[in-house]
Amino acid sequence: MIYVENLTKKFGPITAVDNISFEIQRGQIFGFLGPNGAGKTTTIRMLSTLIAPTEGKIKIDGKEPAKDGQYIRSIIGILTETPGMYEKISAYDNLNYFSSFYSIDTKVRKENIEKFLKMFELWERRFDPVSTYSKGMKQKLALARALIHQPKILFLDEPTAALDPESAYMVRSYIEKLKKEDITIFLCTHNLEEASNLSDIVCIIKSKIIKIATLDELQESRIGKKIEIVLKNNSSKYIDLIKQFKEIIEAKAYKNKINLLLEYPEKINPIIIKKLVEAGAEILYFNEIKTSLEEIYLDLIRS
Amino acid sequence: MKNATIIFKKEIKEILKNRSIWLPILAISIVFSAFFPAALTGGLEKMVKDPDAVDFIERVFQDTSNLQLVMLQFIIKQFIVFLLLIPAMLPSLIAPASIILEKENNTLEPLIATPIKTGELFLGKALTSLIPSFAVSFINFLLIIIIVDSIAYTKFKLLPLPTWDWAVATFILSPVISFIITMICLIVSSKTVDIRSVQGIGSVVIFPIYAVIGLQIAGLFLLNVKYLIIVCFVLIAVCPIVLRLAIKIFDRENILTKWKMK
Repeated sequence: MIYVENLTKKFGPITAVDNISFEIQRGQIFGFLGPNGAGKTTTIRMLSTLIAPTEGKIKIDGKEPAKDGQYIRSIIGILTETPGMYEKISAYDNLNYFSSFYSIDTKVRKENIEKFLKMFELWERRFDPVSTYSKGMKQKLALARALIHQPKILFLDEPTAALDPESAYMVRSYIEKLKKEDITIFLCTHNLEEASNLSDIVCIIKSKIIKIATLDELQESRIGKKIEIVLKNNSSKYIDLIKQFKEIIEAKAYKNKINLLLEYPEKINPIIIKKLVEAGAEILYFNEIKTSLEEIYLDLIRS
Repeated sequence: MKNATIIFKKEIKEILKNRSIWLPILAISIVFSAFFPAALTGGLEKMVKDPDAVDFIERVFQDTSNLQLVMLQFIIKQFIVFLLLIPAMLPSLIAPASIILEKENNTLEPLIATPIKTGELFLGKALTSLIPSFAVSFINFLLIIIIVDSIAYTKFKLLPLPTWDWAVATFILSPVISFIITMICLIVSSKTVDIRSVQGIGSVVIFPIYAVIGLQIAGLFLLNVKYLIIVCFVLIAVCPIVLRLAIKIFDRENILTKWKMK
């Protein structure tokens, strides 16, 4: 659905996006992560035909932006990082205005406007000027605008920013529902938990692509696994015993817990348990802790 | 064209809700197209009793056969120039609001992310400024004709308007001035984020108009159809230049990367 090869964008001497390549299949959620200034918004703008790349190739649904920009813009929806609305006119008129540029039947357009305003709990305030809306309401309205014409591809830049937890949950649930409808979603977010829960593939960028993989692959690529051992009593006296094992990369004791980072857990875990029990430890729980996307992300960015 | 029309309709709606745009124009229209014409045409008898006025007419027109009629001709020439203030000022009120508010509201990016063509967006923005300017100018010109002709007919049994210079000013010069100011405002709006600095363009452009008013009052110059046609030719020659510049600036990438709120 989205194919990118050797994509580069330079603004004068500054290289905002440096030779990135990836492919996104139909119906996938592609998490696009990176620090501020990493080139995320520039990439979205190139993919949505708003700016031309300096080098490289882009294909959206088999079409090239330079030749078929209008077609591409008709099948994409975009939620920008700072979505703006016409403040003096109503939410209904805003949606009606933006959706009128797409080839949608008037009846269908009105039905969609009603559907999304109701979904995002804005229907009762639909005729109020947008200037009277809260930040969260404007964000929801902007998301409705991105969805109103039923796009095949969605570019979402911080979709749950400024939303209260309930609204954020609703938006995330809707994004998951869209995936089942085969909508391809390009998701930029600083909320790593959100990216972790929603994305099929995660791409970490800092001008160049640092890593691109599924979440499982990212976790597998980490050296070592995390284990948490919960004891009945104080754990500090057992820490030296555990540190003897060469497979232990890191060991920390805190109150009645021992946190380990170790290699080959399948081989060493039974031995650790046996040694602890022999030393008099009463083990309550023994858990693997999945490495969070946040840890993976920070490690990659910092390195 | 359909998309340009959609933009135009939405923007006109917003303009009508913005008093800071239409209120000054309404005030100018009432003063220059209704009050002044009525007062001056109705007060011709008193005006020609003033020795300075008589002296002026003799010096400039060298025709003292009917002082009131001659004075009326002079007043009409002044009205033509006053009314050119409207096509000069109105675009400088509307066009910047149209562009700069898009920047302020961060609505340009979602707008150009729709299937709308850049040309349609440009046309929509230009029409938002041009059509009200044409319409208001035309209404004002018409209003003056009605008022002056009504009063002149009751006094002199003649209809002094419209004249050829009136027709040239209304149908050629006024639209051309609107067009050039609109293009200049679209160009300057792209470079700035302060609406007042763009609206200031109107005040710069009306200097030549004030100069003509002053020269006529001083008796150094009298507008006639020949001068108006020369000015029309000069301004029409400028039109393609400003149009080209404006289109060059109205480019998607320029809009996104260079049109920024600071």
